[in-house]
Amino acid sequence: MTMTRRNLLSLIGASSAVGLSAPWLGGARAATGLTAAEWGGDVVDAMKQIAAKQNGAQFNWVLHQGGAGAILPKIKAAWPKVDYDYIAGWEGSFNSMIAEDWVETITAADIPNLADIPEKIMMRDAKGNVKAVPRAVGGMYFGYRTDTAPFAVSKIDDLFDKRLKGAICWPGPTQSMMLQIVALALQGGGNESNMEPGWKLMKDLAKSGNIGRIAVTDVDFTNSFTSGETSVGFFAEPSWAAVAKNFKITRLTKQAGMATFLYQSGFAVMKNRPNRKATCDFINFAISPEMSALYAKVAGEAPLNGKAAIPPELAHLAFTPKEFESFVHVPDYKVVLSQQDAWAKRWESDIAPLL
Amino acid sequence: MSALTAARPQEPAIPSPAPARMTFILLAPGLLLLFGIFVLPLLGLGLESLRQYVPGRVGSAIDAPLTLENYRELATASFAGVLYETFKLSAAASLVGLLAAFPLAYCIVRRFSPRQRAACIGLLVMLVLLSMLVRTYALELAFGSVGIARPLLLALGISPTSRGYIEVLVGAGLLHAVMPICTLTLLGTIQNIDPRLCDAAQSLGAPAWKAHLGITVPLALPGLVSAFLIAMTFAISAFVIPMVLGKGRVLFLSNTIYTRFSDVANYPSGAAVSIAMLVISLVVLSLASLAHRRKGARS
Amino acid sequence: MNGTMKRLSDRILGGAMVAMLGLVLAFLVTPLLVTCLLAFDSRSFLGPLPPPALSLRWFEKLASLDYVATGLATSLKIAVLATAIDVLVGTTAAVALDRGDFRGRGLLMAAFLSPLIVPAVVIGLALLLFLSRIGVVDGFTRLLCGHVVITLPYVVRTVLASLAGRDRRLTEAALVLGATEREAFWTITLPLIRSGMVTGAVFAFAVSLDDVAVSMFLTDPSTYTLPVALVSSMRASFDLSIAAAAVLLMAVTAVLIIVLERFVGFDRLLGQGLFRS
Repeated sequence: MTMTRRNLLSLIGASSAVGLSAPWLGGARAATGLTAAEWGGDVVDAMKQIAAKQNGAQFNWVLHQGGAGAILPKIKAAWPKVDYDYIAGWEGSFNSMIAEDWVETITAADIPNLADIPEKIMMRDAKGNVKAVPRAVGGMYFGYRTDTAPFAVSKIDDLFDKRLKGAICWPGPTQSMMLQIVALALQGGGNESNMEPGWKLMKDLAKSGNIGRIAVTDVDFTNSFTSGETSVGFFAEPSWAAVAKNFKITRLTKQAGMATFLYQSGFAVMKNRPNRKATCDFINFAISPEMSALYAKVAGEAPLNGKAAIPPELAHLAFTPKEFESFVHVPDYKVVLSQQDAWAKRWESDIAPLL
Repeated sequence: MSALTAARPQEPAIPSPAPARMTFILLAPGLLLLFGIFVLPLLGLGLESLRQYVPGRVGSAIDAPLTLENYRELATASFAGVLYETFKLSAAASLVGLLAAFPLAYCIVRRFSPRQRAACIGLLVMLVLLSMLVRTYALELAFGSVGIARPLLLALGISPTSRGYIEVLVGAGLLHAVMPICTLTLLGTIQNIDPRLCDAAQSLGAPAWKAHLGITVPLALPGLVSAFLIAMTFAISAFVIPMVLGKGRVLFLSNTIYTRFSDVANYPSGAAVSIAMLVISLVVLSLASLAHRRKGARS
Repeated sequence: MNGTMKRLSDRILGGAMVAMLGLVLAFLVTPLLVTCLLAFDSRSFLGPLPPPALSLRWFEKLASLDYVATGLATSLKIAVLATAIDVLVGTTAAVALDRGDFRGRGLLMAAFLSPLIVPAVVIGLALLLFLSRIGVVDGFTRLLCGHVVITLPYVVRTVLASLAGRDRRLTEAALVLGATEREAFWTITLPLIRSGMVTGAVFAFAVSLDDVAVSMFLTDPSTYTLPVALVSSMRASFDLSIAAAAVLLMAVTAVLIIVLERFVGFDRLLGQGLFRS
């Protein structure tokens, strides 16, 4: 049964009123120096603004270079010595970190505001312990640039239309956890556990010549759209937001037949660090309703705290329970994450030569 | 004077072959450095390539069993395709680069005035210092599918998003990066060729092209081969150029490796591709320099 | 070939050369011009040329970012140190490879060139794992190691190239006339390979200053280089401050070249080889 943020919170009800962020009670308190790994651009701006509103922690912000995956070998190389108090990540990077047992278990005592966050979305280890604190949700979906797209794309079949020759920007094997193939699989009657219909459609799409660029990084996609090279694509929230700043885009998040996926962005608290409490306190502050709303406004990802207001520009990520049922596909992430390597290799052998 | 000559009666008039000990002392720092920060890390990588990868983990576990699976996975047509694409475009770009760089270097050394020489060398140095990422995007905006050259391409009937054109664009990107390096490398070579030989040939009645082909080029051959090898090695390991100009569709070996070093942290497989790439490239390049040396020995 | 035909073919060759040089220079210069356009682009995204309006926003952004100054300082320190090490070690290695006639010489030559074959991403990861295993965790040392590895081959190769073309009889003549090996090296060989050394140093400096792929793996939370800082500040939006940084570097290079030409004379710096025109 799929859960929406709203109906889950109606179940939890008002019992979460207890876990509000405690304002720092008077007195001069030396700020603890913490090191955090965050994404650059709007995300670190949002976090800097949040950090400025409290005085329990002072940050050395280290930026993720390239995707979130570039930091993994650094942690592995230095282990058991760890240089970061928390690392911002998403399902893709959290999965590896949890498998390697690099992250602390988080309890309600550590971060009371967790009670406001939907339980279903929290990443857990094999024993069911919560390992990462979600802060916001972003989407991965189809969309197009309203002014330059040859026509209004409304279904998967449209992608094969001759008018879209060279106009599609498709994510590469390191992006989007290959959920784009899952989207194609859904069209063909399959899903993440039965991907054959998806691979068949992908082969057809590659042969059609409609794919102009395979985006290898977030920036590739944005540049491709803003320079007018391509006009239709499937990508994650940050890139859509970057394009939307300057051009009108149509986000197909509520389009029947074109699946939308939601991913979380959040905090992973690292083991072997001396300031666990200060880190947890800051994270608790950062996921409070006011700070969640601030993060949503600046970083462009929808807040997960049930009490935070969703800004109007993120309306495309606000789903009623019925909409959620129809448009959002929540894959079995255990399957998706364990198949990443196999899917990437299959892409290389079956699809890449056809492009 | 007499003391000097008196002090060296036993010394042969022509010195014997360089004493091996001196050579070894000179080589020692370079060898140590190379061994310490290149060979050893690569050996570590080689070991990683033999380890088993469990999907979902970061790299191989400490106690992972040894296996040849990572190499066996590479025996596919698509990997061979990427290999072929890499070497084909690299060789083409290096050859064209050399053909363009040689006359340019010659003119800089022998034909330009000192001021023109400074301006040209300054331009080349600026090009070498130009950031690869910026250069690639500049080329994309100039010659890419939305570039200023787009109307011209369409007029000529070339589709800017076709695979053929993208390959040419990647080649042009490599060419642009490689040409300044080749030219600057060849400056030293040409400086050490006696211009009077060519003058003599021309005064004896040979046309300019014959004189250069027969004299300048053979004398510059060692330098040309050196420049070609530098260009080729640079091009093979290019990453940004194929990624941006190749639109993610023309893949080089380094792009294949990058896929394995990202969120899908399959380091063993990435290490296997790297070692395979190193071995194959060394074979190809040593064949090239071997052919040159044999030719040189014959002449 | 009689005289008229010879003069005609000379003239055709001359014309063809001029045309080709023009084409080559136009091709080389175009990206430089585009970079300048991008650096002054008023748009906040990468759009097709020409830019609708010009502005200084990227330079202002570059000047306002706090990590630019730190990153630049680290980048310059590493570039200068790496280049110095390269020139010292690389020249001695190249000289040794040139003078010695031992077995395995070809293999060693290939070995010194091989860091260029290995993609930067691979070198970065391999060095990260290895250096951590032997206990070197300091960011600056790691970066220096990485940069020396990827720049040393350039110096070795350019010096070898200029050594290969020289006339060995000059050294022999000097030795016959009574000079020691060392004197012969310093007075004959070294001036002849000076352009090779300078060229190699320029390549080494340039590669070190621009590197992202290797540095990405070797930075630590307190040490980072400028290109890495600029690239990681972009998440999804392309930040044209890298174009602004490139233009600034171009300007500095141009000024340096002009100053060197006026006060030292390029020909003296680069050497003119054996035969002055």
